[in-house]
Amino acid sequence: MTTPQSCDALVIGGGVNGLTAAAYLARGGKRTLLVEARAAAGGLCETAPLSDGALGPMAAHAFYALDPRVLKELKLARHGLKFSVRDAPLSLLRGGADRLVLTRDVRASARSIATHSKSDAEAWPRYRNEMFALGRTMRALWWNANGKFVADGVVERIARTGAAAWLDSWFESDALKALLAFNASLLSPLESGSALLLLWRAAQEMCGLQAAVAFAAGGPGALVTALMKACEAAGVEIRTNAEVTELAIQGGRVVGARLSTGDGVTAPLVLSSLSRHTSLSQLANRAALGLAERRALNDKFPIAEAKIVLALDGLPEVRDTAGAFNGGLIFAERLESYVLAHADARAGRIPQEPIMEVTIPSIADPDLAPQGKHVASVLVRSVPREIPGGWSASKATFAAKALAQLDSRIPGLVNRVIAAEVLTPEDLSTRYHTEAEDLDVSRMLAPWPQRVQTPIENLFLCGADADVAPAISGRAGRIAATIAIGKH
Amino acid sequence: MRYDAAIIGAGADGLAAAITLARKGLKTVVIERGDRPGGLLATREFHPGFFASPYLDEIAPIPPRIHWDFGLSRRGAIFVPAPQSVAHWPGRQHVLALSDASPAMSLLHNARGASAQAIARAERNLGRPNGNVFSFARRHPAETWPGSAFSNRSLQQLLTVGLSDTDAQGHLAALALGGRIADPFLRGSGLQLLAPGAGLSGLVMGGLGTLAGALVHAAEEAGAEVRCGLDASDLRLDNGRITGVALADGCEIEVKAAISTLDLKRTFLSLFSWKALPKHLVTRTGAFRMAGSTARVLFALKWLPGFREPDLLRGPIHVAPDLSRFAEANLAWRAGTIASELPITFRVVSATDPGLAPQGSAVVTATFGGAPFRLFDGAWTREKRRILYDQALTAAETVFPGVTDQVLAADVITPVDIDEALGATDGDLWGGEIASDQMLDLRPWADPPAPRTPVRGLYLAGPSSPLGPLATCAAGVLAAEALLSDFKMASRK
Repeated sequence: MTTPQSCDALVIGGGVNGLTAAAYLARGGKRTLLVEARAAAGGLCETAPLSDGALGPMAAHAFYALDPRVLKELKLARHGLKFSVRDAPLSLLRGGADRLVLTRDVRASARSIATHSKSDAEAWPRYRNEMFALGRTMRALWWNANGKFVADGVVERIARTGAAAWLDSWFESDALKALLAFNASLLSPLESGSALLLLWRAAQEMCGLQAAVAFAAGGPGALVTALMKACEAAGVEIRTNAEVTELAIQGGRVVGARLSTGDGVTAPLVLSSLSRHTSLSQLANRAALGLAERRALNDKFPIAEAKIVLALDGLPEVRDTAGAFNGGLIFAERLESYVLAHADARAGRIPQEPIMEVTIPSIADPDLAPQGKHVASVLVRSVPREIPGGWSASKATFAAKALAQLDSRIPGLVNRVIAAEVLTPEDLSTRYHTEAEDLDVSRMLAPWPQRVQTPIENLFLCGADADVAPAISGRAGRIAATIAIGKH
Repeated sequence: MRYDAAIIGAGADGLAAAITLARKGLKTVVIERGDRPGGLLATREFHPGFFASPYLDEIAPIPPRIHWDFGLSRRGAIFVPAPQSVAHWPGRQHVLALSDASPAMSLLHNARGASAQAIARAERNLGRPNGNVFSFARRHPAETWPGSAFSNRSLQQLLTVGLSDTDAQGHLAALALGGRIADPFLRGSGLQLLAPGAGLSGLVMGGLGTLAGALVHAAEEAGAEVRCGLDASDLRLDNGRITGVALADGCEIEVKAAISTLDLKRTFLSLFSWKALPKHLVTRTGAFRMAGSTARVLFALKWLPGFREPDLLRGPIHVAPDLSRFAEANLAWRAGTIASELPITFRVVSATDPGLAPQGSAVVTATFGGAPFRLFDGAWTREKRRILYDQALTAAETVFPGVTDQVLAADVITPVDIDEALGATDGDLWGGEIASDQMLDLRPWADPPAPRTPVRGLYLAGPSSPLGPLATCAAGVLAAEALLSDFKMASRK
C-alpha cells in the first residue's frame, strides 16, 4: 500500500468549474490537486474531431454566462482564449419562411418583431430595458459570494411566475414569446420560477455586453485549454483517469478521498464540482443528511438534453440578410410547444416537436472545418432522461425526428450531412458523468454560501448546480474557492 | 334609492359581507342577478324527488369564527364531514381509505393550517387605508404570507417527501384538486393543497341551498336587503370613486361604496363601461388567467348502490387517481379536448343525506376535473355532453357494478353551464387559476392589496380575492371589514 498523497485542497472533477476552483485555490496559496475521472479535463466544454476532420462542440456550443471576473483574474485571454463571435444574434426559425431575428440593435430587432406584431415591436425596448436593469441589480446577489437578496416586490413576483405568464403579460405574438422562452426552457414555461430564468439570463454578461452570446474561436474546448494553462501557471497538480470512489469522513468532517486507482488522498479541504446528488449520496455517507434531503436526492430530474453534431460538405443556399446564421437558431413553433415537449419528456416520450437550438460555428470560424465544409451543432432541449426500452433502442427514431425538423426549417441542410454524431442523454451522461439536478427555485434567490456549503464540514460544492442556474460559467468554481479559503 | 353599500352577488361571500355591514348599521343591499340567492350554494331538484347541489357537493370550509358569529348551525346549516375518502382502482381487490386521522393526511392538514394562518394574517392587515393606489407599489409587507412555501414546489415534490406509496400520492392529489385540473409535476402546483377542492369539509344536510337559506336569514335579520332578479349592469364612477349602481332595467341605485363578489374579469370587464377604467387596469385584468375545468354528472338511481362496506359510501370515491393521469388530463384540457380518462370522483350524497332521494333510491354525483370551457372543435353539443355521461357511467360501473340499469335520470353540467348560471368566467368556480403568481399576496395582484381595488370605494370579495379559494365567507367578511375601516377613517377626517 502506498502512502496517501497529501495536499491542502482537493478538487473533484476537471470541468470548467473544477478547473476554475483549482486555479483560485492554488492562487490562494493552497497546494491543490485536481482529479478528473476521464482521460482529459474539460467536462462539457469539449471540441472533438468528427469523422471527416471537422471539429465539433460535443456538449456546450455557445457561451452566455462566463464569469467576466474569472476571465480577467485568471488572464484567460493571455492564455489564448479568443472569441470568434462576441455578440451572436438569436433567431427563431419556424415553418415556411417565418423568421424572427433579435440582435443588439434594438431598432433592427423591433423591425423584425413588427412583422409579427406592431405592439410587440413597441414593447420590446421597454421589456429589454426593464429586464436589463433588473438583471443588473440582481448581480449583487448572483455574482457575489456575500450577496444577499434584498426583498423586492417585482423580483419576488417574477420568482413565482411562469415564463409563459410573464411573456404573455408583455407580448402578444407567439413567435416572439416562443423565441424568448428558450432561455427558460430548463423548466416548463408553466412552472413557477421559469420567469426567473429569463431574468437570470438578462443578468449575464459576455465580452462586456449584457446578455450576449459568444462562440470561442477553435470551439468551446479553447476555454479549457486556457483554463489548464491558468491552472499550470498557478501550480495546480492535475491527475486524469482518477475517479474518486469515496470521500473519507471523520466526525462529520471530510479529510480526504479514495480514488479508483486504489490510492488515497488526504486533504483538509475538498471541493466537488460533481452534482449535489453524486457528491452527497454516492461519495459521502448519506447518514449525514436529513430525511427530507435524502428523499429529495432520490428523485432524479427526468428531463435532459441531447446533442447532435453534424459535419456538412457545404451550406444550403439560404437567404440570410440579418446574419441570423452566425448566431443561435431556435426551432420552436409556439410557446405551447415548450409545454408539450416538457410534458412528453417527463412522461418518457420523445417530444412530437423537439425544441432545438442550432449553431453553425464554422461560418465565423472557418478553421473548425476543412476548406468549404461546415459544422452544425444541434442542442435538443426537453428530452426524457430515461426512455422505456432504453435510449439505445430509440436513438435512431430520435435522430430521424430531429433531422426531419432540421430539414423542414433549413431546407437542404440534411442533404449536406457527411458525418453525424448523436449523443442521447444516456450517451452524454456516460461520457461526461453528468447528472442533471432538479432546479430549485428557492435556491436561486439564496445567498451563495447556502448553495456551496454542505452538511459535511470542509466539503464544498463548486459545480454547475451550486450556481444559480446551470451554465458554463466558472462562477461557482470561483465563489466556492473564495468561500472555502475564507472558512479555512 | 340610496344605500351606504351595495353588494353585487348573493353568494356566500356577498351574504357574509351583507351580514357584516348591516350589523354595523350600514344601509346595505345585495343585488342578485338570479331569481334565488346563493349562487354556488344551490340545491336543485334535477328529477322529481331527487335533489343535488349542482355545481359542487362540498365547499371550502367556513372559518369557525365566522360560522359561530353568523349562527349558521342554529339557522339549520348542519355540516356532516365525510368519515373518510376512498380511492378505488378498477380490477383491484383493495381500496385505499384515508380518514382524517391517517398519517398520510398530514400534508393536507398542514396546508389547512397554512390557509387558516393566511386568513388570520389578512385580517390583521386590514387597517391599511386605500390612499393613493401606487403608494403600495414599492412597500413590502414585513410579514410573509403563510403558505408561500408551497409556491415553488410541485405537488409531486411535496407528496414524495411525505409519502412513499404512489397510490397514496395519487389519492392525496385527487383530494387536493377535487374538480380542478393541474399538472402535479410542475412547480407551483403545490399550492393546490392550500385551496381545498371538493374536499372533506362535509356535506350540508339538505344540500348547499340550506346554507344559502341560513345566510339569507342572518342577513335579513341584521337588516340587509337581499334583492333577486336584478342585474347590475354598470358601476357609476365620479372622479374615480364609486357613486352608484346602474341596473339592467334602467333603475339606478345611489351608493357610497360597493363590494363585488364576481370574479375579477366579470368585475372589471363587465361592470364598467368600456372607457371608464384606466388602460393598465383593463390590461392587468385581461392577463388574469381563468382555469374552469369542472364538469358534473348528477345521477338519479333506482337503488342505493352497494360498495364493500356501507360506511365507505359516505365519503368521496376517487377512481384510479394517479399523478400522470392528472398530467395527461391537464395537457388535453389545455388543448381544448376531452381527455379519454378525465379524473373523476363519485359522491353518493344520499347515503349521508337520505332526504335528497326518495326512499330506496339514491343520488350519486360525479365530479370531473379537466373539462375544457372552450372545446377546440366547437361548442358543448349534446354529443360532447354525452361523452362526459358515458365516461361517468363507465367509471361508475367499475365502482358500483350494475349501476347502468338503475339510472332513472342524469343531468350533465359543463363549464359552459357553470359560466352561464353563476357568472363564473370560463366556468371557473375558484375565480382564477390556482398558480403561484395568482395566489395569496399576488391574488389578484400585489398592489393595492385586496380586498381594496384601484377604484376607490370598490372592494373585491369573491373567488378572485386572496381568501376566495381558501375559505367560504371569509373573503366577504374581509371586504366588508375593509370597507368599514375606510368609512371610519373618512368620518374622522
